Amino acid sequence: MLGFISARQAGLDDPLRLRRAESTRRVLSLELSKDKDVERIHGSGITTLDIEPVEGRYMLSGGSDGVIVLYDLENCSGKPCYTCKAVGSVGRRHPDVHKFSVETVQWYPHDTGMFTSSSFDKTLKIWDTNTLQPADEFNFEGTVYSHHMSPIATKHCLIAVGTKSPKVQLCDLKSGSCSHILQGHKQEILAVSWSPRYEYILATASADSRVKLWDVRRASACLITLDQHNMEKSKASSEAAYTAHHGRVNGLCFTSDGLHLLTIGTDDRMRLWNSSNGENTLVNYGKVCNESRKGLKFAVSCGCSPEFVFVPYSNTIAIYTIYSGDLITMLRGHYSSVDCCVFQPHFQELYSSGKDGNILVWVPCLREPEPDDSSEKGLNPAYEDAWSSSDSEG
Amino acid sequence: MAAEAESESAASRRLAGLVEALTTAGGAQLDPRGMRELKRLCRAEPAQVGRAHRLLMAQLAAGHAEVRLAAFRALEQLFARSHAFRALVAAELPELLALAAGSEPRRPLPPPAAAARQLRAAARRALPDWSLLYGPALPQLAHACRFLALRKKVDFADASARTPAERGREQERRERLDGLRQEGARRAEREMEGAAGEMQAVLTELESCFRLLVPHPLDPAAEEQPCCSAHLPASQGPPPPPPPEEEDGAAFLQSCGLGSRHYALCLDIPTDVKLQENEDNTAIINSLMDAQKLIRNKFLPSVQSWIQLFTRAGISDNRLRKAIDLKNKLEAALEKQKEMNIDYKEKRRKVMKASDDSSDNEEFVEVPAKEGYEPHIPDHLRKEYGLEPVSPPNALGIKTAEEGEPQQNEEELDPTCAAATWKIVQDKLPRVQPTDTRNSEFVTSGEQNNKREEEKSKAPFVPFGLDLAYWGEEQPVAGKIFKVASQHRFWTPNEMEEEVENKDIAGMLKSRCITFAGKFEPVQHKCRAPMPNGGLCERQDRVKCPFHGKIIPRDELGNPVNQEDRDREAKEQFEKKEKQPEWQDPEFMREVETATGLDLGSSRYSGKGGKSKGKRKKYPNLTDLKQQADTAHSRLGKKVFDKTAMKRVAKAMNRIDQRKHEKFANQFNYALN
Repeated sequence: MLGFISARQAGLDDPLRLRRAESTRRVLSLELSKDKDVERIHGSGITTLDIEPVEGRYMLSGGSDGVIVLYDLENCSGKPCYTCKAVGSVGRRHPDVHKFSVETVQWYPHDTGMFTSSSFDKTLKIWDTNTLQPADEFNFEGTVYSHHMSPIATKHCLIAVGTKSPKVQLCDLKSGSCSHILQGHKQEILAVSWSPRYEYILATASADSRVKLWDVRRASACLITLDQHNMEKSKASSEAAYTAHHGRVNGLCFTSDGLHLLTIGTDDRMRLWNSSNGENTLVNYGKVCNESRKGLKFAVSCGCSPEFVFVPYSNTIAIYTIYSGDLITMLRGHYSSVDCCVFQPHFQELYSSGKDGNILVWVPCLREPEPDDSSEKGLNPAYEDAWSSSDSEG
Repeated sequence: MAAEAESESAASRRLAGLVEALTTAGGAQLDPRGMRELKRLCRAEPAQVGRAHRLLMAQLAAGHAEVRLAAFRALEQLFARSHAFRALVAAELPELLALAAGSEPRRPLPPPAAAARQLRAAARRALPDWSLLYGPALPQLAHACRFLALRKKVDFADASARTPAERGREQERRERLDGLRQEGARRAEREMEGAAGEMQAVLTELESCFRLLVPHPLDPAAEEQPCCSAHLPASQGPPPPPPPEEEDGAAFLQSCGLGSRHYALCLDIPTDVKLQENEDNTAIINSLMDAQKLIRNKFLPSVQSWIQLFTRAGISDNRLRKAIDLKNKLEAALEKQKEMNIDYKEKRRKVMKASDDSSDNEEFVEVPAKEGYEPHIPDHLRKEYGLEPVSPPNALGIKTAEEGEPQQNEEELDPTCAAATWKIVQDKLPRVQPTDTRNSEFVTSGEQNNKREEEKSKAPFVPFGLDLAYWGEEQPVAGKIFKVASQHRFWTPNEMEEEVENKDIAGMLKSRCITFAGKFEPVQHKCRAPMPNGGLCERQDRVKCPFHGKIIPRDELGNPVNQEDRDREAKEQFEKKEKQPEWQDPEFMREVETATGLDLGSSRYSGKGGKSKGKRKKYPNLTDLKQQADTAHSRLGKKVFDKTAMKRVAKAMNRIDQRKHEKFANQFNYALN
């Protein structure tokens, strides 16, 4: 650390280098936060989380009872012990609350004044953050599993929506209507994701075990269908041709640079694809336990080297290095299966939620609480040992 | 260095032994001494804390709820002491909850159920306490609490810490029961409404019966009755006040015919009424009895059941009051009747019944009396005629001899008459005998008769058989077999038929086989051979005891009475001792073996010794799960699902299938498979 700082001071190093090294170190020491906690509003499982990309300060959570809560993550109290307050919420009493489980919430990428949510009640709602009133509502024929807005798009304002129908719908916020339908999948769409590199590239994952990349400008849309065998074996069996997994593909995530795509499926596998040519990079992550029948949200780190991926692994969260596939650690703390995890890139914090209704905060824990800090220790008996003094008692 | 490692490994071994001993000891509480020792070990060396945690978690994963409970208790104690231990526990809190609180539905707590319940309650109780005490240091505890409290909706205040599912089930059950009870109460109400009128009527009837039987003293109707006491009001009340004037008093005395005015008249009014049944009140008493019967057998039980139904349903309004009123009334009526001491005669009632029946007789169609005199009624018809069967044979004899004879000829001619059949029967019987007996009876009726009775009682009773059917008759055809030499249709030999007499068959018709098994006599003697435990053999075999051989007479100590038996027994004992010398006592030898470590062959003499040693339970204080499974169901299951039994059944089923195939073997489609 000191070496990095001195090298930075002397101008020997690229400024990014210190930053990368430090953030990597912090990610490697992620631990369940002792001080930071999230206020508990949800009365049931939490299916989705999203942190706004502008400041990284506000977080949305969607519960399986249709409730959406808005949290302020920043600690302004000056004390280490802090509970993230809920700034606002769309509770059960709200007239426009989602009737069924909220599957995805997402901030408008350029501003915190707006966010979107989609639910099993077959709607996609556009909310005004300040009034917590829906500005617009899209209705679909099937339950909505997932939706996504391009984080970098400047020329379009499309929301890709994966529903129970095999057609991917694109809703244009400018006109307030569905502008495109992308056909090609055979079963429901469990995950959609725009590329963070090219604003017109969209990836979709479906229960028919296929993952498709689309260019929404093209008439015939579908660019590539990812094939797990890289077109070698699949010539023999037409059944398995152009499949990304052996089961349902329920998670999809581009790396932060958009060059690669990670998918997870119910065959308990995670695969890394080259997003430019659709090639399976054949990185072996081992078994990634995945029993979810819905979409699963997982996150990748940003600004580390190597980069990490945080994947829900039944009741735990597994951290892998993306390009080598090494399992770094498993974060234990949830009491039932984890549905969603999001990464806060500025402070290298991880937020996870699951069916047990807890939002757990995983923060870098760089050093142990100082043992010589007697004043604090005296105050808090929770850190003390309580062996009885007499030897016979033990 | 080596010594240090040695001591460390010794300490960890000790720790492992301690943890195992503590958790498998069973019982309601942990052994305090062992626990103290464990704590001392953990305190002495921080490295042991982690090891203890690992060991305890391993024991917590055991498939026995008692082991888990003990492990959890030990864990709780260490948790209260060491922060390092707390941190370790908190890191694996989900696993701990799954193992101790059964938080994962897919991994239920193991049997026995009682210990599992205790364990769950203990875990759910401990968690909030921990969270309260150590929450600031261990955020996982708060999460776990929240998870249990809100996700599982466990109410920590509830002593049994039940989940809402359990509570809901309980509630549902209670509601269903309540519904059933309400339904029962409604039904009872309906019944009561229907029956109340009837009961009231019966009660009124009873009341009026009582009135009629025992006139009420205050009843004006009773006072009207002619009674001498009614005319003497002075005698009923207290003595009249003395007349104020002397002359008047004397006059009064004179007019009343009393010698003095200082009489105290005591009237003994019997409180216990006693009623005699007579012609006047028969009808009343009858109806009284009927009403009483009705109340006792029908009304009271039903009222009782209504009250029960109402109380069970928690109804305490008018309905219950009404039912109780009814019950009180009915009971009062019964009580009253008991007090009346009605003395009615069962016999009279019976006669009355008969007379009742006689009135029914009027309904019968009049049948004209049978024409003609029936002088002789056969025995088997006597009952039909309403006469007593003639038991003494001599009476019959006399009768027939004296008065039956003259008319007989006349009647016997008529075949429709009973006399004719009787005649046939008589004819069939050997003629000579009856006359003989009759004559003899005439001569010495008394003694002969007695003797015959005696013989009769002695003679065995034999069911009717073929031999009796042909008794004393010569059967010309019996036992003869027609022998046809040739089976051909028309090539018959010269001699037409040949009869062969079969003695056996002929004999069979005349003889009977009677098995004589004798009478069962219970065995009185006992074996009484001396046994190693000092007692005598109590077996009561007839000839031979399966353990001690032939039964011989023995004295109280079990020694044979006869000299040769004594000798034989001594000889046998000697031979037995020869086989196994005295010093090779198995007990003694086992002791020597354990002391020296050499095999002297004690197991040869007692085959049981080695076996029982191997079968000894590992943890004798724990509840044996396998033994608990020893229920009627499991025992039956063991029999039914036994491998050989299954095989046998399968074979039998196959055979049945096969037979079906055999039956239709001539049809090709069955024959093929």
